[in-house]
Amino acid sequence: MAGGGGGGDSGEPEFQIAPMIDVLLVLLVFFVTITSAEVLKVDKKLTLPISPNAKKREQSMVKHEMAINLRWNKDIDKGVLVVDDKIFENWADLIPILQDRKKKDDNLRVVIRGDAQLPASEIQRIMNIIGQAGIADIAFAASNR
Amino acid sequence: MRKKGRARHKKSSEVHLGFQIAPMVDVVFVILLYFMVAAANVQTENEHITKLPGTVPTDTETLMPDEISIRIEDDGQVYLNDDPLDSPESKNLPELAGTLYQLHESSVASQSDVLVTIYANDLARYTRVVDVLDALSRAKISSVTFQAGSAE
Repeated sequence: MAGGGGGGDSGEPEFQIAPMIDVLLVLLVFFVTITSAEVLKVDKKLTLPISPNAKKREQSMVKHEMAINLRWNKDIDKGVLVVDDKIFENWADLIPILQDRKKKDDNLRVVIRGDAQLPASEIQRIMNIIGQAGIADIAFAASNR
Repeated sequence: MRKKGRARHKKSSEVHLGFQIAPMVDVVFVILLYFMVAAANVQTENEHITKLPGTVPTDTETLMPDEISIRIEDDGQVYLNDDPLDSPESKNLPELAGTLYQLHESSVASQSDVLVTIYANDLARYTRVVDVLDALSRAKISSVTFQAGSAE
């Protein structure tokens, strides 16, 4: 991108603006890339539990993952099931959708994104639904901080 | 004053509309700083991967591993095979992680596998379950299953 030598006519080294811009742009692209790659698909209505030792998402599995959001309704201490921005009143309605996804993608992994304050019974309930759909590969999402 | 007036009305050929490098460098610096600061505070989503039991077909004979049960009470107290470990307030669960790591080491030495079953009470919080999964990760134990209700 940029050319030029390191000195002027007098032989004195002078400040070259073009290589500096090159370096700046490379740094900028680097930080833009890592920032956008790591940003969560935020569901602001749920707070993920914190687990510093959880594994990083496998890049090879990202395209096979399907997120299931479980918000916490603190008034009734129950979970609110949200998949693809759609709230499921009857959790069993999710079974045919999961089965359909499993048919299309044999390596499907269901990522349970549950609120930290959810009762464990609600997590059991969603695991039962996933099991009934014939899916074995699941993951629990957690935040690093 | 007259000179200033004249200077304001330069001929169009004298007006320099060329590309200014200095403001561009300023802007790039600001954007770079923004992304550097944002990158330091970035929140990432990690995973605890597991398999649900009973849905994976197998052709080979499976060896029954040593089974360990971890029970999580409603108040967050964690029991390892009925022995209480750590306090309900302890998020890192050092005693549990340490004991599990020793079990892992002994299972490696005896070439057996360790299977941990988590029994979480209905009203135990999910964050506590994740605390236990985190301790299991630290202890390098990956065979984990879940069971509804208590161990009894």
